[in-house]
Amino acid sequence: MQSQTRIRRWPWVAIGLSLAVAFTLSMISPADSVQRDLVRIMYVHVPSAWLAYLAFIVTFIGSIAYLVTRNLKWDRMAAASAEIGVYFTGLAIALGMIWAKPTWGVWWTWDARLTLTAIMLFVYLGYLALRRTTEDPVLRAGRAAVLGILGAIQIPLVHFSVIWWRTLHQPPSLVRPDGPAIQDPMMLAALIGGVVAFTVVYVSLMVKRIELIRLEDRLHDLEMASERPVAGAAVTTPELGGSS
Amino acid sequence: MTTGFWHQVAAVVERDLLRERRRGDVLWITIPFGAIALLLVPLAVGTDAVLLRQIGPGMFWVIVMLFGVLVAVGKASSETLPQQDAASLAGLDPAAGFVGRTVSSAVLLLAFEVIVGVVAIGLYNISLVGVPWLIVTVLVVAIGLALLGTLTGSIVNSTSTGTALVPLLVAPLSVPLLLGATQAYDGLRFGHSILSWVLLMVAVVLIVAMIGVLTARPLQET
Repeated sequence: MQSQTRIRRWPWVAIGLSLAVAFTLSMISPADSVQRDLVRIMYVHVPSAWLAYLAFIVTFIGSIAYLVTRNLKWDRMAAASAEIGVYFTGLAIALGMIWAKPTWGVWWTWDARLTLTAIMLFVYLGYLALRRTTEDPVLRAGRAAVLGILGAIQIPLVHFSVIWWRTLHQPPSLVRPDGPAIQDPMMLAALIGGVVAFTVVYVSLMVKRIELIRLEDRLHDLEMASERPVAGAAVTTPELGGSS
Repeated sequence: MTTGFWHQVAAVVERDLLRERRRGDVLWITIPFGAIALLLVPLAVGTDAVLLRQIGPGMFWVIVMLFGVLVAVGKASSETLPQQDAASLAGLDPAAGFVGRTVSSAVLLLAFEVIVGVVAIGLYNISLVGVPWLIVTVLVVAIGLALLGTLTGSIVNSTSTGTALVPLLVAPLSVPLLLGATQAYDGLRFGHSILSWVLLMVAVVLIVAMIGVLTARPLQET
């Protein structure tokens, strides 16, 4: 019983610890010479964007795996990942807008990265909307898997938009052929700390959400079973008619 | 139905085009709707001839994307469940059904693009440049939209919301096509190479075609 409670609690402990470390790093890292304290928004914005990519790639992998194996666990993984991805894409966009207003002077600009990220959000909102239209887990999984694969077209478009187009949004900060663009070790630590912390949050949320979807599917099956007539229910015991 | 793949495709195309000839959904409803939309834009943004000439090509492509989806979805969702079952029992290969519906949608979309394009040229005074490349762009967009519409139409077929969900699914997915088409026209206007934009659109078309053919059978089972 105690070990079960411990297992149930570990995601929350992991989330709390990793976020505490990331928060501390982002607070003790120095202010930027140009952006001043606004740079701290980046320690949440960049990890959110990273998590969105990770989540949608996992949805893509889960969708392919479901179509190949027809095992519902892959569909649950794809669905849980898409939900988390949508949340963090929205967070990345919102934080980007808060950062953009004092830096660029506008909340929104028609930059390729910004626009394509917003479009990616709508693709996966459509994915989640599609899932809500079908109750049967098997039918839902098949349909959603195809869209999960199709939606992945947006991921490279969003990522490479800053390279393919001349954009206002800066090019990648961490994953670059010539090494990270950030030179200050504390700033780099804060950014990497944020990425690690958000990845822990993602894994923890995935574990919880997958379990919840499994229980929802189980509930659906039980409801269906209770409404379905039991085999042989129509057969009744013959009654003797007439009086003796 | 024991004929070969392409015979099955031809039969589906013939059936869809015959149905369109009888009902006239695209010719009498969607095309006039698109033309009205082109007429409404100047009322909203102003009737300045220079401005309209500048935004005309972009407006044309936006209308092709938004209204073209209706063409493809209409074809994809026009089959009832008993009709689908009958086709399946007759031995129709799901992939052939997908390709056939895509081809018929592409033909209708091409007609939509040509007629609405002529209206746009007339209303917005758009100049035609690089006609061979323009034809390629129009063709690739028609095929791409037809693929997206047919695939998403198959996905939402027999869901509780029906085709109401399709525009939400197709509109964001068609962005690479919209970008490619508008940037290609701009490239032609300023004398730049548009090969990269055409290749982007062709790549999207090939990816969606591959997904559509490979998932035709699983989708039929749902």
